[in-house]
Amino acid sequence: MISNYIYSFVSKFVFSPLSYIISFIIIAILAVMVTALIPLFIGWVDRKYAARIESRYGPVYVGPFGLLQNFADLTKMLGKRFIATNIDWFSFNFTPIALATSSFAMLLIIPLGGPGLEFISIPYSLLFIYTLLAISPLLLLVAGWGENNKYALIGGFRGAAQIISYELALIVVLSSVALLSGSYSINSIVSNQSSIWYIAYLPVTMIVFIIAGLAIIEREPFDVPEASQELQAGWKIEYSGIRYGLFLIGDYVKVTVIAMLVTYLFLGGWNGPFIPGILWFIIKTAIVLMIILTPRWVLGRPRIDQLIKFGWNWLLPLAVLNLILVELLVVL
Amino acid sequence: MGKEKIMRLNFGPVHPAMHGVLKVILDVKGDTVIKAQTEIGFLHRASEKIAEMRYFSNYYPIMDKLDYVSALNMEILYASVVEKAANIEIPPRAVYIRTIMAEIQRIMSHLIFIGSFGEDIGNMTGFIWALRERELLMNIVEKVSGGRLAPMYICNGGMFYDFPQGIEEEILKVLSVIENKVNHEYNAMFTKNQIFLSRTKGIGIITTDMIKKYGITGPIARASGINRDLRKVSPYLAYDKVDFDIPTEKEGDTYSRFVVRIREVLESIKIIRQCIKDLPAGPYKTVVPWIIRIPKKDTLVKQESPRGEMGVFLVTDGSDKPYRLKLRSPTFFAIHALQELLVNIKIADIFVIVASIDPVMGEVDR
Amino acid sequence: MVILDKLKSTIKGDLEVIDSEPDLLVIKIKNKKLIKKLAWQIKEEFDILYSLAVVDYSPDFELNYIFSNYKNAEILILKVNITEKDFAIDSITDIFNSANWEEREAYDLFGIKFNGHPDLRRILLPEDWPGHPLRKDFKVDDEIRNWTGLDLKF
Repeated sequence: MISNYIYSFVSKFVFSPLSYIISFIIIAILAVMVTALIPLFIGWVDRKYAARIESRYGPVYVGPFGLLQNFADLTKMLGKRFIATNIDWFSFNFTPIALATSSFAMLLIIPLGGPGLEFISIPYSLLFIYTLLAISPLLLLVAGWGENNKYALIGGFRGAAQIISYELALIVVLSSVALLSGSYSINSIVSNQSSIWYIAYLPVTMIVFIIAGLAIIEREPFDVPEASQELQAGWKIEYSGIRYGLFLIGDYVKVTVIAMLVTYLFLGGWNGPFIPGILWFIIKTAIVLMIILTPRWVLGRPRIDQLIKFGWNWLLPLAVLNLILVELLVVL
Repeated sequence: MGKEKIMRLNFGPVHPAMHGVLKVILDVKGDTVIKAQTEIGFLHRASEKIAEMRYFSNYYPIMDKLDYVSALNMEILYASVVEKAANIEIPPRAVYIRTIMAEIQRIMSHLIFIGSFGEDIGNMTGFIWALRERELLMNIVEKVSGGRLAPMYICNGGMFYDFPQGIEEEILKVLSVIENKVNHEYNAMFTKNQIFLSRTKGIGIITTDMIKKYGITGPIARASGINRDLRKVSPYLAYDKVDFDIPTEKEGDTYSRFVVRIREVLESIKIIRQCIKDLPAGPYKTVVPWIIRIPKKDTLVKQESPRGEMGVFLVTDGSDKPYRLKLRSPTFFAIHALQELLVNIKIADIFVIVASIDPVMGEVDR
Repeated sequence: MVILDKLKSTIKGDLEVIDSEPDLLVIKIKNKKLIKKLAWQIKEEFDILYSLAVVDYSPDFELNYIFSNYKNAEILILKVNITEKDFAIDSITDIFNSANWEEREAYDLFGIKFNGHPDLRRILLPEDWPGHPLRKDFKVDDEIRNWTGLDLKF
């Protein structure tokens, strides 16, 4: 747990009550930096990667290799005027904050590449992350309602329908992993994989997890609720400025979390020979991230009915079947 | 709960995904469309009225802006009608250059269609790839004519300039690049993409009866099993001297409309190659005075534009300006069919169907 | 063309052949009431109304019905004159559905009434546009220049 390390480090130099305050401030600054820097960096990766696929350059001007482009964009968003009219003030302003908070909270709970390298240590961290992911349909409905726009309403309903049909598959997948390792804590799941990675037992489950995870975070090709062609931006349509920026950052946080989860649950996390664990973790996460980012640029977007049919007819039965197999594996 | 509520949605004229400024008013029940009305006219610039105030030679810029995606086809069409009315013979080199430029413009127009169709399904990369290939042809048009989108290349009696030196080899090089991309990259991106197939197959079916009911022509009609192409039926320019096929499909859904246009790109490449091989030497234009007077007569010329049969009905009265110029635009009729096509579908399919019609509103509204 | 004999037998006398080429037939009828009867005859040979071009020879207006089919390149142009006093003609929308929007356009730009048209509204111009712009007597005056459209209240 990061806070413990920092506290013990600070208390070597400063006496007791003051050391507590100082370490608290350091932890807060560190948490904000991590939660802000990771999504912005992943956003840069996404933009650059998309540009390479589409034979463009992507961001080049701000910073080396355009690394600071997202900071520039965010700064620009802070200066935007508030233009939405006829909105429900509370639900309009509440949703971006709630969605961003629920995304950032995930980064505080998930280990950042090493045993105990998390800000807040809780024994049921996997379940808690799932809960934070599963809040979003409610928030989408609230946003779609509060914007007072027909497109936003359609987008909100679509989003709720889509996420509800996929989160069931997701929880079944998570349960099968938890069943195999006997714990809902990411730390112990990873340490159980020190000899053999779970991808050996659960290859299909991993694919189901990636698909369901992409659907839950509305990453293309599952971006039906915000379909920029049909509904312009779906439930985000009336948002602008930093409220929209919060959605964007939240999206990248979720992408990162899904990539990290795939690494932790199936690819052995920081386990690996020769080089330090954190390097293994970064390599694995980068590969998974690339796999997750690719479909957006090479696939189209299915229709909402096809999407929901796929979720109920294929993904959920597959996940349940896998759960039964894992149970058999554990029992035998 | 009682009866279900019906929501009225306005798609366009400023919807970012709508092609041009078409407006569709939809009554939706849940996610299903139950009634659709189309409204056009947002880009009406009175082209037919402007024609009555200009000399015959001064109308080319307006033709450019009709179907701005295939401007050269429009220019060639107008040149043909003026030359037919005024009995101007154009030299064979001009005929061949016009054929080459018309087909280059057709490829460019179809590339825009391919890209925007993919984009409407959510595939941004296809759009950028298609524009990347279009840029190569755009450069050729720029080298030949000096302009890009509205080239102003054709004039009465031929064209303003001859082909620049060495442009033939460049065209052939670009064509082989495009042929390669269409055969490999586009197939991987679209016709072998399962999501693309599931979104386009069986959607927006236009039957042969509907084609005849609404008077639709061009690739849309050919996708519904009607084997009619004015380049074959009544050959103009050099189309009777080259060998090419008319791609047709039977299903009439959005996918077959897409495939017809992809195959037309390949046929156009074939035509350009033959034309460049046979390109005769000699003068590139018949010198015609800028202001010509055409005696009283009616002239009708129809040609195959990338969107269908474009026609011009020119009425002259012996003066130096047209007395009346009526433009027959193919998409005007195709848009009419939308009110029947856009019923009992999901909201997501609206843009697939509208994109498969490939409307350019400049030509519809005139 | 084969159609010519059929049309001649349908209406005796009142039909004038202006131009006859292999793929083009231009005929003119004097009595505008015959248009529907002729359209039924033409429907047997031609599939669509290709275009409807109205020409303003004030006080007469000449309607050029251009018919085409999907089999070959044949074109039939049927000319009908209407006068400004009786500024209406029977609609052929129920025979050729493709005439629907073309007739709306003629109504929009010339003000010709089409009797029996299902939905005769303006199509290219706004509903409250003053006048019919493709007529020769249409003058672009201050009323047109300063036209701003409907007064909508937000």
